[in-house]
Amino acid sequence: MNDVQWLGERAMQDVYLTAAGACLPGAPVPNDRMVRHIGVLDPQSERLGRLILRHNRIETRHYALTETGEATHSNASLAATALRDAMGNGGYGMEELSLLAAATTQGDLLVPGHASAVHGELGAGPLEIASFQSVCASSMMAAKYAALSVGAGEARLAAATGSEFSSRWFRPSFYTPAEELLQNKEHRMAAEFLRWTLSDGGGAVLFADRPGARTPSYKVEWITLTSLADRFETCMIAGQGPEHREDLRNSWSFHPGGPAAAARDGAIMLYQDMVLLKRIIRAWVGEYLKLVDGGRVDPKGVDWLLCHYSAHSLREEIISLLKTTGGMIDEEKWFTNLPTAGNTGSASLFVMLDEFNRKGLARPGDKILCIVPESGRAVISFMMLTAL
Amino acid sequence: MAYDTLPEDSLTQSVMRRLALVWIDFEGRLEQVPIIRRLNAGRFTLEDYRALLLDLRQQVVDGGCWIARAASHVDAKHIDLRSRFMRHAVTEHRDFQMLEANYVNVGGAAEDIRRGRKNIGSEALSAYMFHKASQPNPFDLLGAMFIIEGLGSRKATEWGTAIRDTLHLRDDQVSFLLYHGEEDDDHLADFEKWVTRIVRTSEEGDALVRTAEVVARLYALQLEEVGRG
Repeated sequence: MNDVQWLGERAMQDVYLTAAGACLPGAPVPNDRMVRHIGVLDPQSERLGRLILRHNRIETRHYALTETGEATHSNASLAATALRDAMGNGGYGMEELSLLAAATTQGDLLVPGHASAVHGELGAGPLEIASFQSVCASSMMAAKYAALSVGAGEARLAAATGSEFSSRWFRPSFYTPAEELLQNKEHRMAAEFLRWTLSDGGGAVLFADRPGARTPSYKVEWITLTSLADRFETCMIAGQGPEHREDLRNSWSFHPGGPAAAARDGAIMLYQDMVLLKRIIRAWVGEYLKLVDGGRVDPKGVDWLLCHYSAHSLREEIISLLKTTGGMIDEEKWFTNLPTAGNTGSASLFVMLDEFNRKGLARPGDKILCIVPESGRAVISFMMLTAL
Repeated sequence: MAYDTLPEDSLTQSVMRRLALVWIDFEGRLEQVPIIRRLNAGRFTLEDYRALLLDLRQQVVDGGCWIARAASHVDAKHIDLRSRFMRHAVTEHRDFQMLEANYVNVGGAAEDIRRGRKNIGSEALSAYMFHKASQPNPFDLLGAMFIIEGLGSRKATEWGTAIRDTLHLRDDQVSFLLYHGEEDDDHLADFEKWVTRIVRTSEEGDALVRTAEVVARLYALQLEEVGRG
């Protein structure tokens, strides 16, 4: 196991998470209006969509694409807007910020990095930046970088953002070039799950070397992040079809026919391998149980659990595994806004924290465990906070 | 030991958690075994399937025997555990016949699979099982059963379904794997009860978990050696 030690106990100064912010574009979109934003693919797609929605139990979500197909934001502006919201919630002036760690699954551009785009949108004077590209857990990579920078005395106020403009990828034009592949039932399911699960949004959190003046502040106890890519194949993938994933030289950019030919081969669709996902979930639970077994997490001592998960049915799977192993955290301690905010990938945890703060649920001394699993290629991250 | 870090934690929960960790680590290792990688990647061939059946058979044929031997070493004070072992032995001891039938149904010759020898992993696994089963009151074999029954309830159906779908086979060509998935569901259901009943000290818990670790490693070795004679 990659047992990452949080250095705060020895060499570093205390770090506080002092504010969160969110940007959920437009009005909430209910299930029966989704296709007005992402577009009509074919009747089979909508039948599958209804099935998937029953599994994920998401009721509303937000899209940065209007019903007429115009983009109201860029991915970068979703992040910048969320960050301004966090700065306002924490009562900070923009000049106080010295570091921006920006995370996303797919930036607006292939080149250069996402943090440059977010900084460009933000316009807050010269900043140190860092870009993190992964899937959901990219948010925690950014959070850990920002928190470590504060702990090491490199920054006094550092921001981490997570943002996704997923709906771009779900428009029919991203699927129709590979229409033939979609006739295969398994291929179709792998390509549709995320279309009906992910939506748009930005989230941000701030880390500081002292507690904040306004919103609830939390002491950051530790952050861990573990990749299990050494044993698992890629589970969520875009850039090459899942059947070619064993060799990265089959990815879209290697295609001798160029990007259009790669799209016809199904390389541009976003896939989820639902069979592999179940095996990876058990491995995630294993990483959690290691923390319990090592005494770092006491399930009975956790007051709030903010766990990102993509679908309600996956939550059920996780709960049944935890119950037999003494690792269960009572369900009344689970806080989520997945059903109303939707699954916004790398923004999800920060969007969740923002709503958790606004509801004023944490009491001083409460232990808040945040969990962000990423199916991409089996990553899982944990963060323990203590409410001040 | 890790037990002591959480004073309110019960011994059973700790053992169950550590067994779950052994299982999850085992599953991660299986992902990396070449024949399983080919299966997961959709590159599994009929030759792979025949090689898998041929190698599994040489160890499965011993399965009912080591459990029966274990049962004969359980004293009268633990008669209910003896019954548990014997029930398990009865369910398992003819499994190899179904396996042989599957082999023949996918074009293998019965005499080939019967004449086959154990691969290196199967040798080690079988020898370890008989060694443990020959000890007085071999309770830590519950750890071995946790792994083997886990394979039945979780992996067998998963593999059986994937093999059937990849190679377009009929159910009667993969019944050994598919049948295990159905049968072994209740095997796991009462496992926690048995741990509570049998494990009284942290040393007994350690021994049980250790046995699970060894069996998991040797089982993976058996699969790594498939087709290598």
